[in-house]
Amino acid sequence: MASKNGISRRDEDEVCPVCKSSRYLNPNMRFLINPECYHKMCESCVDRIFSSGPSSCPVAGCRKTLRKNRFRAQTFEDIGVEREVDIRRRVMHILNRREEEFDSKRAYDDFLEQREEMIANLVCRTDVARTEAQLQRYATENMQSIRANQAIEEEEASSFQARMTLEQEEARLRRQLAREQIENERREIQAGREDMLSRLASGSSADAAAIAREGHKVLLKKSSARRSEEDRIRQKQAALRGSELKRSGLSASADMASSSGLIKGLRKIKTPEPEKPYDPFMGYVPEKRDYYTLQQSYPSVYLDRVKNDTRVAAGGYDLREYYARTMVEAFAGLGCFVEDEVAQRSVA
Amino acid sequence: MKFFIDDLPVLFPYPRIYPEQYAYMCDLKKTLDAGGHCVLEMPSGTGKTVSLLSLIVAYQQHYPEHRKLIYCSRTMSEIEKALAELQALMKYRSQDLGFEEEFRALGLTSRKNLCLHPSVKREKSGTVVDARCRSLTAGFVKEKKERGDEVDLCVYHENLDLLEPHNLVPPGVFTLDGLLRYGEEHKQCPYFSARRMMPWCNVIIYSYHYLLDPKIAERVSRELSKDCIVVFDEAHNIDNVCIESLSIDISEDSLRKATRGASNLERKIEEMKSTDADKLQSEYSKLVEGLQQAEQAREEDQFISNPVLPDDLLKEAVPGNIRRAEHFISFLKRFIEYLKTRMKVTHTISETPPSFLTHLKDLTYIERKPLRFCAERLTSLVRTLELMNIEDYQPLQEVATFATLVATYDKGFVLILEPFESEAATVPNPILHFTCLDAAIAIKPVFDRFSSVVITSGTLSPLEMYPKMLGFTAVMQESYSMTLARRSFLPMIVTRGSDQAQVSSSFGIRNDPGVVRNYGTLLTEFARITPDGIVVFFPSYLYMESIISMWQGMGILDQIWNYKLILVETPDAQESSLALETYRTACCNGRGAIMFCVARGKVSEGIDFDHHYGRAVLCIGVPFQYTESRILKARLEFLRENYRIRENDFLSFDAMRHAAQCLGRVLRGKDDYGVMVLADRRFERKRPQLPKWINQAMLDSETNLSTDMAVSNAKNFLRTMAQPFQSRDQEGISTWGLADIEKHEAKRKAEEERATHQQFMNGHKMDGVVTSTVEVEDEYDDDIDQDLMMLDAQ
Repeated sequence: MASKNGISRRDEDEVCPVCKSSRYLNPNMRFLINPECYHKMCESCVDRIFSSGPSSCPVAGCRKTLRKNRFRAQTFEDIGVEREVDIRRRVMHILNRREEEFDSKRAYDDFLEQREEMIANLVCRTDVARTEAQLQRYATENMQSIRANQAIEEEEASSFQARMTLEQEEARLRRQLAREQIENERREIQAGREDMLSRLASGSSADAAAIAREGHKVLLKKSSARRSEEDRIRQKQAALRGSELKRSGLSASADMASSSGLIKGLRKIKTPEPEKPYDPFMGYVPEKRDYYTLQQSYPSVYLDRVKNDTRVAAGGYDLREYYARTMVEAFAGLGCFVEDEVAQRSVA
Repeated sequence: MKFFIDDLPVLFPYPRIYPEQYAYMCDLKKTLDAGGHCVLEMPSGTGKTVSLLSLIVAYQQHYPEHRKLIYCSRTMSEIEKALAELQALMKYRSQDLGFEEEFRALGLTSRKNLCLHPSVKREKSGTVVDARCRSLTAGFVKEKKERGDEVDLCVYHENLDLLEPHNLVPPGVFTLDGLLRYGEEHKQCPYFSARRMMPWCNVIIYSYHYLLDPKIAERVSRELSKDCIVVFDEAHNIDNVCIESLSIDISEDSLRKATRGASNLERKIEEMKSTDADKLQSEYSKLVEGLQQAEQAREEDQFISNPVLPDDLLKEAVPGNIRRAEHFISFLKRFIEYLKTRMKVTHTISETPPSFLTHLKDLTYIERKPLRFCAERLTSLVRTLELMNIEDYQPLQEVATFATLVATYDKGFVLILEPFESEAATVPNPILHFTCLDAAIAIKPVFDRFSSVVITSGTLSPLEMYPKMLGFTAVMQESYSMTLARRSFLPMIVTRGSDQAQVSSSFGIRNDPGVVRNYGTLLTEFARITPDGIVVFFPSYLYMESIISMWQGMGILDQIWNYKLILVETPDAQESSLALETYRTACCNGRGAIMFCVARGKVSEGIDFDHHYGRAVLCIGVPFQYTESRILKARLEFLRENYRIRENDFLSFDAMRHAAQCLGRVLRGKDDYGVMVLADRRFERKRPQLPKWINQAMLDSETNLSTDMAVSNAKNFLRTMAQPFQSRDQEGISTWGLADIEKHEAKRKAEEERATHQQFMNGHKMDGVVTSTVEVEDEYDDDIDQDLMMLDAQ
């Protein structure tokens, strides 16, 4: 009968394989495992055997040397899965390419399968040495990209966490608001009713019906006004939320990865072209008419004096500036033909 | 009788028609013409089904498009009833037209109900029948047979292959029984005949699930064309059906079975590797190419299909890490183990799918993408392995479906982990509820796909709630009142007992001895004055039990026994059906009986108490849902946040639709009569939420009664009802002959004309000129009798 429900089955039948004490004798018994060999034993056994330094596993036939600090509680009921997840954790840590890094979906899928294959090899203990070697080589070759991808992952996780807490907070606020609204409404109705009663008590009997009707109408009006107000607020909130979402859309970050023998189909990394200087006319170049070429100096009686005056030069005044301006002013408007433009305009 | 609606000739299989039936047909036709969805509420027992069928069949046959009708109903008995109704209609049509129309109509229900195989049909459980049927009919079994292996095949199914694929059954209307008989005669499988004939049918009648449950709809209703007319009858509960079709409960036991299933699969894979490695290899290469969609050919013996909406179909290739069978198995095992660890909680947890997925990824490195493909991958694997005893893998399939759903939908779902069955329980029995909160998700593809969807029932008030919850816009929303020649039902709201103390089932006072006693006297009084059967509805089993035991203590039950037998509905279906049978016998032999039921139970939904089976219905307390349930709370919050339906509005709407449904149980036609009592002071304010036809029949003076007043009212009413009443008296008022329809049309046209005329006149500013051209005949009833006499003579 007890075995019908999960807890008691799990709890009462468990016996430590090393010291054979059961939960019946020791209700606080905890089981620990060591990722070296995944043999289960109770906490007191671990203390007893491994407190004085590394020792070999007490399970018969297993001669692995275990250390106390590696013992930990078991997450999964199935030891096989526990071990697989441990292996997976290690492999995924190294082979952490992301879908964006691949040329095609097909390549990414192939990569996923390859990774799965390697994990399966390690789990089933086939070809362990070769797989380990491959992993090692990949890890040393692609240190940088592994790090980068880890960083991206962490960032994603933390941003997700932040978003979740934010959402929860918002939901809580909305819930509170709704509760308050209902409360207010109830209070208002109550107040309206009391008000009406008091007026009925004081007023004459003739207009009783009128008062009652009026009171009812006021209530109705209030509630409809409140509803439309609510709607308005909600719409606003919805609009706000939409824009926020858009803003927070994560931009896939660029990554760098060196080509490696292990993974195929990685996208070639393009170094972005250096940005050109800002061009306000978007590449529009006005038609050039060379009416003149600017000379170093122009002969002029009164300018010559200035040119040779060190005081002027010391003040930062440059004559070439003056030449250029004067020339532009002199030739300005020569390329424009007003008649043509007028004719064009009248045609249009 | 034959009449025209606009230019559409309608053949109606009865000599008389109710005015509301006529109005219903007119509105229905308008909707069909306009193309769009509609919500129609028609009083119960006024021939909704027949008017619907006769109009749509007429529409089908008259217009060249021959739009197919898909009629969805709730229970098997309702499906059978609709089919019989349709059969009568088609018989009438062929008599009237003088020739048989090319017409096919079939009903579809589960294999369990339609199986003819001598040993399979004796199985009790539906899933076992399904599985055994599959093992006898699946494509690979046949291949094996052809290869010379010794395997069993179903003869009935095999015979189908000898027939023309589009002419498995002759034209005509087959009821489910008729189909079984035909199948037995011709030794062919009724289930597969119906399934395969679906594309060639004019009318298909089946249960909601074939259209709403994405797991089934994908297989059954896939090739229905866009211009089909879809009708959901008795649709007042459609939102709950939608939600249930996407919700999954996983218990610890089912997880254990799923693990076993996964290990079995693993063993099978090993076996296959040693014997028939090519097959696995070919499956693998198909998956690599992403060709599985084209390849699948969607056989009818598919194991499960993707529970995701059809338009969301995953067209992509299966992700690489579950491509190989053995990788997929280890993937499944990891997922199941993870769920097992989650089951060890000690307090209730509710979680959104995204946070569940993150936690899953942290612990087991299962990502979202392969999870989405879980159901599809499992189907493919099961097909490749050619498994025979599929029912063993049911729990595994459930887990896979769950995986796919949880990875597909971020919004509108919630995971609730409850370690204890009830609050009082000390022994944990954890259940993982994966609950859909949004009814619109399941029904969306239906609205998207079909141009006309009709939602109809006896109780749909308030009408605007349904479009809101289901996320569609209705071109027509209509509620019809009931035209009656005499007042044949008496709805009343009792708010006080005879001692003027208020009665209510609200939580604070529901167990007050005073309240319980007042309810008791109310029932005793009604037992005294009402002939034959009385039906009493309670808000919950719990309350019913407590009130019955209190009545027993007060000696109220002893008093009632002087007048009536007492029978009680229980959660057990067989016990309840026995109680119902006894109740019927007691009503028939004159002893009279009282049936105690629960407002959300089986009885309140599907059982009719027509005529003497129900002369009075008492609704004791407002049937609110149990608001402490986590699932309901989550749904309420979802409705508030997404559809702006406030908690209290929804709860009250839900309670009132159930109350109305209970009240409707006793009135199943116009010659029927009954008293309807709503006994709770809170009903007084909820009156506007009742359906129009009940609300209109309720006088203002009858909304705030005490027990003694209600009893004297009812006594009066029952005395009036006992007077002789000929059906002749109804004619022209609550039943129309052809002449009445014509008159009604003429009147309507005249009114329209007058309206346009008036507009015209106003437009031209010709003051003072009142046209006297249009004179409406108001002496409506005078010469009707003559017409009717003539009709009768014919």
